[in-house]
Formats: sequence, C-alpha cells, structure tokens
Amino acid sequence: MLAPTAMKHVRLLVLTEDLPATSLALAATGHFHPDPRAPAEARLGTAPAHHYRHHHDRARQRLDKLAELLDLALAQHVDRPRVIEPESLAALDHWLGELWQTASTHAEGLRLLDDEARLVAEHQAALANFAALDIDLAVLRNNTRFLDIHVGMVPRENLARLGGALGLAHYLVHVYMQRGDQTHVVIVGPSDAAPESLPQVLAAAGFQALPIPIELDREPARVRQQLETRSADIAHRRAALERELADWGADHRAQLLAAQQTLLLAAPLVALDPALRASGPLAHLAGWVPAGGVDDLADQLRQTLSHPFDLSVRDPRPDERRLVPTVLTRNRLLAPFATLVGQYGIPEYGEVDPTPLFAVTFLLMFGSMFGDLGQGAVIALAAWLLRRRLGRFWPFGLLAGLSSMAFGVVFGSVFGNEHLIPALWMSPLTDPLRMLTLALLWGVGFITLACTLAIYNRVAVGRWRDAVLGHHGAVNLVFYLALVGAGVGLAENGALAPWPATIAGLALATLAWASWREQQGPVIERALVVFIATLETVIGYVSNTLSFLRVAAFGLNHVALAIAVYTLAGMLGEVGHLITLVLGNLFIIVLEGGIVMIQVMRLQYYEGFSRYFSGDGHAFAPLRLPRD
Amino acid sequence: MVDAAHAYLDARVSMMTRQLHDRHGLAQLAELTLPDLAQRLGLDTLLDPSQSLRSRSRAIEQALVHQLLAELQVLIRPLHGAERELILAWGRKYALYNLKTLLRGKLHAFEAETIAAQLFELPAPIRLPIRTLFRAEGVDELLRQLETGPYRQIARQAREVYARQREPFALEAAIDQHYYLDLAHHARAFGAPHGNALRRLIGAMLDRVDLLWLLRFRLCYGLSPSATFYWLVPSTGLLGRERLLHLVALEGLEAVLGTLPEPLAGRLAGSDDIAEVQRRVNAHSAATARASLAYADSAPARALAYLMLRETELLGLFAIVQGRLLGLAQHTIDAALEHVPSGCTWRAAVVDRSETD
Repeated sequence: MLAPTAMKHVRLLVLTEDLPATSLALAATGHFHPDPRAPAEARLGTAPAHHYRHHHDRARQRLDKLAELLDLALAQHVDRPRVIEPESLAALDHWLGELWQTASTHAEGLRLLDDEARLVAEHQAALANFAALDIDLAVLRNNTRFLDIHVGMVPRENLARLGGALGLAHYLVHVYMQRGDQTHVVIVGPSDAAPESLPQVLAAAGFQALPIPIELDREPARVRQQLETRSADIAHRRAALERELADWGADHRAQLLAAQQTLLLAAPLVALDPALRASGPLAHLAGWVPAGGVDDLADQLRQTLSHPFDLSVRDPRPDERRLVPTVLTRNRLLAPFATLVGQYGIPEYGEVDPTPLFAVTFLLMFGSMFGDLGQGAVIALAAWLLRRRLGRFWPFGLLAGLSSMAFGVVFGSVFGNEHLIPALWMSPLTDPLRMLTLALLWGVGFITLACTLAIYNRVAVGRWRDAVLGHHGAVNLVFYLALVGAGVGLAENGALAPWPATIAGLALATLAWASWREQQGPVIERALVVFIATLETVIGYVSNTLSFLRVAAFGLNHVALAIAVYTLAGMLGEVGHLITLVLGNLFIIVLEGGIVMIQVMRLQYYEGFSRYFSGDGHAFAPLRLPRD
Repeated sequence: MVDAAHAYLDARVSMMTRQLHDRHGLAQLAELTLPDLAQRLGLDTLLDPSQSLRSRSRAIEQALVHQLLAELQVLIRPLHGAERELILAWGRKYALYNLKTLLRGKLHAFEAETIAAQLFELPAPIRLPIRTLFRAEGVDELLRQLETGPYRQIARQAREVYARQREPFALEAAIDQHYYLDLAHHARAFGAPHGNALRRLIGAMLDRVDLLWLLRFRLCYGLSPSATFYWLVPSTGLLGRERLLHLVALEGLEAVLGTLPEPLAGRLAGSDDIAEVQRRVNAHSAATARASLAYADSAPARALAYLMLRETELLGLFAIVQGRLLGLAQHTIDAALEHVPSGCTWRAAVVDRSETD
C-alpha cells in the first residue's frame, strides 16, 4: 500500500487527422498524463492543435458568457462520446460568435435603457427644481444673442476641473443641485467667444444635457406627465426586451447545451496541445501511464483509430525521475488525509506515499491525546451529520471521533467522567510517569520509522550517499538508536552504557567527517561549521524525541480539564451543574480538540514529513472525459 | 526621526536603498557588453539564442517589473490603511499598463496569445481580472466588464469618453488622468506625520507629469487652454490648480518655462525643446525622491521614494539591455538614460554618420 504505482513512458505516433479521435481514446482510459517535452526529432516542429485550441478557447468564452446572460446551467459531464473534428469546432465557434453578437446587443440595449431611465429620473428632479423657481425659464432654454447656455449634469468628481477649464474660456459653471454622484449645472458663456473645443471638453467631463421643455412655464403638470409616460415607456421597453431575450434564449437552449457537449469532447485535445508536435501528416505525443494501464490504453487506441499508429513503451530513465507524476491514494477513507499530505507536498516518483502511515499515526496520536468515549462520539456524530457540508473531509472527523472513543474505552472516560465505565487499561492521571515514558517510546519509534523511510526513499531514487550520510540517513539512525541506548543506560544505571556510547561517538565522528568533506573555505570556518552541524544533530535528536512528551501531556491535560469542569459543576445547583457540564464538555471538544489536532499535525509535518518526504513531486493528472 | 510603528519598514527601506545604483554606476553598466550585462544582472535570458530579440527583450522587461513589484510587496507588508493604499495606488500603474495593452489588443483585434505575451504578471492586490477581461470581444464590452470590479470608476469614465469620442487617445488619457487623480486624492488625505513628505513626493511626480502633458497638449497636439487644463491633474507640489490655469493660457515653450515657479524655473531655464524639458524635469523629480529617501521623517514616504527611484533605475537598465540587444550606438543609449542633453544624441549621430561617410 505504501509502494508507489509503477509508471511507464509512452510515445505515440499517429496521423494528424486522427488526433481528435486519439485524444478521445486517451481520455476515455483515464490513464494518460501528457509529457510536454519536445521530441528529439527536430522535424516534428509544428503544433498541430494550435487552431483547434484557439477555436475551442474562444468558443468556450462565448458559451460561458451566453450561459451567464441567459442564466443557463451547463452540464459538466459528457453524455455520449463522439469525435469533434476541427471543422465542426470552427463552425461552432463562428456560430457562437454570431449568437454572442445578438445577445450582447440585447444586453447593451438593457444597459442603455437603464441609462435612459436614470437620465429621465435626473430630468424629473431637475424640472421639479426649476418649476419651484420664479424665473423666466425661456432664458435658460434658448441661446441668446450674447449668451451660450447649457443646462445638464456632470459627474461630481469632474466638476472642479470642468469649472477651471471653462473658466479659461470665460464660461461660468453654476451648480444648482447635487444628486448622488451627479451634479446639476447651468453653464453660461459669451456666444461670440465660445471655443471650438467646448463640445470636446464637455464630452470628456461626462456632461449630459438636460434640456428644459418649452411647456414647463405654462403647463408643468403636462411636462411631468410626459416624463412619467417616458419613464413608464422605458420600463415597458425593458420588460419587452427582457422577454425577447428570454424567448431568444429558450429558442437556442437545446443548441447551446449541445455546444457544451461539443466543447467538453474537444477539451482533451486542447489539453494535449502543449504535448503535441507534428511534421506534415504525422503527429507525435508522449506521456506517462501507470504500468497496469498500458494494455488498456493500447486496446482503446486499436478500437478507436481507423489508421495505423505506433505506440512505444519504456521505463522512466533515472534522469527523468523528477518528471514522472505520482499516482496519489484514491481510497475514499484516506482521501482527507491525502489532502493534508498534499498541503506539505506531493511525493516524488519512487518515494513512499506517506498517506496510509500518516492516517494511522495521526489517529493513534489524536485518540491518545483526546481519549473520551462521549466526546469522541460527539465528534464522530457531528462529522456524520455535517457530511454534506464537510465534503470529502467528513471521514476525517468520523475516524478522529472513533479513535477518541476507542481510547476513551481504554482510559475509562465518558464526557470526562471516569466512574461511568471501567477503564480497559487505566486513566492517564493514575500514573503520569508511565504515560510520559510511553510517549517517549512512541517518539523513538516514530523517529526511527521516519528515518527508515528517509533511507528507503533515497535508495529508491538512487541517492545512495544521502541514504548513508545525509540528514536522517543510515549513520544518523545508528547514532540516534545508540544515543537512545546510552540514554536508557544512564536512566537505569546512572551511567552511560559503554557500547551504545561508543557507537554513538563513532557515528557522530563519521557525520562530522562527511560534513568536513562537504565544506569549502578556510580551516577555521570549516571547523566551526562542522562543530555547529554536529552539535545541531545531537541537540536536534534529543529535542525532537522530547517533543513527543506532548502526546502524554495532552492526555493528562485532557483529564485535568475534565476534573476542573466537574469541580466547578459540583459547586453549583442541579441546573447549574448540568449547564456547566454541557458547556465545559463543549469547551473541551472545541478548544482542546482543536489544539490537539494542531499539535498532532505539527508532529507529523515537522518530526515526520520533514525527515523522509521531499514533497517535490507532482501529481498524476490524466486526461479524462467528465462523466457522471 | 521615524516613528516606532514604522521602524521595521524604515530599516527595510535602508537595506534596499543599498542596492540602488548612483548615476555613475548606471553609466558604467551602460558601457558593458551584452554577455557582461547578462552576467552582472543574472539575466541568462539575454543570451538565449533560441529566442527572438523581441521575446528576449520582453522577458527582461517582465523580469525587471517583477523585481520591482516583488519589492513593493515586501514594503507594503508592514503597512496598513491609507499608507498601504497609497503605495498600492502608485503600483497600480502596472495594472493600468495591462489594461491599456488589453484595450489596444481589442482595438486592433490581436490574438489572445499575442496580448497575453505583453501583459505583466502582477501581485494580487493590484491584479486585474484578466480571465474575465480576455473574454470581452471589444473595447466597450471590456470596459463594461471592468466596471463590475474595483476599477469601476476608471472604467466608467473611460467608457463614457470612448463612447462619445471613439478614439484611443481620449480613452488612454482618461485612464492616465484617473490614475494620477487617485494618487493626488490619496496624498491630500494624509495629515501629520506623513502628509507633508508624501505630498512633496507625489507633488514632484505630478509636477513632472503636468508640465510634460501641458507642453505636449498645447504645443504638439494644439489643444485649447480649456481642453488642456481639463486633462491636467492639479498637483500637491508646485503646479497647483491656479498655477496650471495660468500656465495653460500661455503661448509657446519659452513663455511657459519663464512663468514656472522656483526651483523648476531654474532647472528648466534654457531648455529649447520638450525632450530637454523632460530630461531636466525627470532629474528634478528624481532629486526630490532622493532627498525624501535620505532625509524624510516618514517611513512610508521613504518607501515610496525608494520605489520611484528603483523604477527609474530598472527602466534605465531595461534601456541599456534593449540598446545592446538592438545594437544601438552608445550615444543613443546615453540619451535614453537621460545622461546627456537631448540634442547631443542627434549631434552625435550626425558626427557618426559623417565619419562613416
């Protein structure tokens, strides 16, 4: 389960005209991860799917915009696979372009009607203002022999600059009303000196004229009525345009849904585009395939392609190791743990997939630090009830809760009460020293396992020197185990055990020698670096092991918190007692549960992953057809 | 004395300042050959023969802008509120360069790949919604899309201007004007202890922009005083609203230069063309930024001054690289770096040509 999926490199030569069918066949298997490297043959220089991708991308943009505008839900899965030829894709792109032209004209029409409605509202406000004034509005309506008059509105932010600019041409800008971000103005200047650039400046400032109707003086009610009629007419036209757009959308609905199918089926070839090279009618593509999927891939190509093709398969070369994708764990229960591993990085091809190990050790540590039958049940139940909201993470909560329940049985704790069920083993607070010793032993085991995996991973990728002398390599492991042996001797007998101490010293000397050989520079500098590196090795292993004391410490802390809650509850009456127990348990579940999870993640990432897991790989992402 | 809240930023700026080249250092770089430049600047792309000159030049420009914006991100990290917004408002010019590239691309119906190759990679706080904008099939649609995001003010104004005038000049002028108005607005909103230093710095920048726009609009494009004034942005420095109103009404280069306030008048006296004015006013603006970097009490002002100087330096480096890639003469590169008076390059070119003949 820990071993990585073996991969093969495949190279496929097909006729260019068969590329759409090839891409579909490769996507149907779900085994092909494209390799974008150019082939060695310089003649294979052209990108045969360039135009295909161009049409696809533009058609996709057009279809998405149409779907947004028409509120159309596009299916994200393929109903029936079929080959999409370049000609039909180009035709679809063209058709969608025409459709978008029509649709965007409708949309622009709606926006223009909105602008017109706003203008009418401004006009109504302006005329209401003028109607209340005791002036001859005819003066403002007509340019006179001496005066050039403009009534209208301008965005507030442009007013000061417009005032200055028109002032230079001896014009006055009079503000008579502010509405929102618009300022209503009367602009007056000398008729004989109106600059040629006046319309240009007014346009640049966003000036909109609001002419005063002739009848405003004599029949203001009629003018108001006219504006209201106009406003109603705009609303009517808007509703009609919306209906027209909806009807138009309904007429094209089926064709647009079919277009979505076409684009989904064209997507695999578009995804292959960076990996495709061609010379005349011959196209080349390469990729990575799980060893177990090669036969399936070949069968699928044989069934799909009408013309001959050439498929060559080989093992990845050592120099290609970093390019080979890693197939990640797909187990449903392990999926959330795989996501957490992915936060650190993807295992390099050949490295052990740490997900199963991470899941087991995570659950063991979480359960032992937060062991309680009742609280664990709450966590598991909450994860189950919220499974839709938690998505793929719900098994994580469920398993953590179950682990907590199992350790609750071991410790005999139900909602912090240690008298309801008998402990299968003992309560942590009964013998704290034993708990701390067990935590240390767990730490030694965890670090030893992590170092062993580090050695295995380096051997697997051919880094032999690192496997022996590198960080957390074989010599480090020997040193660590000897150090632990010497430490045990010191604890039990009060003196360092001679053999372990000697082995630890020799291993440390070997590490120092290796470090010395790696350094360059003056002797003093090298000596200083080697001394610090060696000291860091000793301190690092000791402190990392002691770091696992937190596993016991949180177990003890959990019991202590429960005792505190029960002590508080014991000081209150019946109702207070119950409320305190409920709130106290909630407090423990949320706060302590969260802290314990962070601490376990810290131990996993820092004490585990950082030792044996480079995280420099990239995930296997095969071509796929989206199916139900 | 910089306040304690900005001690970290102040130390950061001081450290970064060490990497700025002085005029002499840049002049030395301008004399290096292409391989030496590539080695000194760590730009291997310069020597990659598999790429065209255009793509190499583009890659270098991208790398230099990326460097500048990476430093901007480092400097805004300890900043909050209005100070952070001001620095981001300054950096937003690169988002507007992208916007203009998109607009030009849509106007000339370029392919998406061609447009994408010319866009700068921007950090998240100033990034445009490129994916959405790419979907637009014309300038109007693009600006409508932009109106739904944080650039709605600029987009609305630009769209209205474009809808009325249907010409790229008005569109780009509206975008530039809004950028500088936004900066001036930010600078004016500051009180003590950063207000004076920031207004001086932004003011020097706006003085430079206003003077050059004024001269170009009036003398080259023949715009009226009214139209010219409308496109200018009243500065927080020497060229405030009243001064600009006075200047736009003048006729001719000499009249404008003769009416400028000190110290601009002294610096620009004797300039006989707009290129020379540009060279000198750029030098004035850089001197103001250098003074702010050295003496300002405000760490945000020092950070902004550093970014302005760093940008000038990186543009200089790009000019050198570009000159070497295209095989331009040394005097042309020196002119691009504004190390020599504008007329010198043409005189040097004439001498070169006569020697060749």
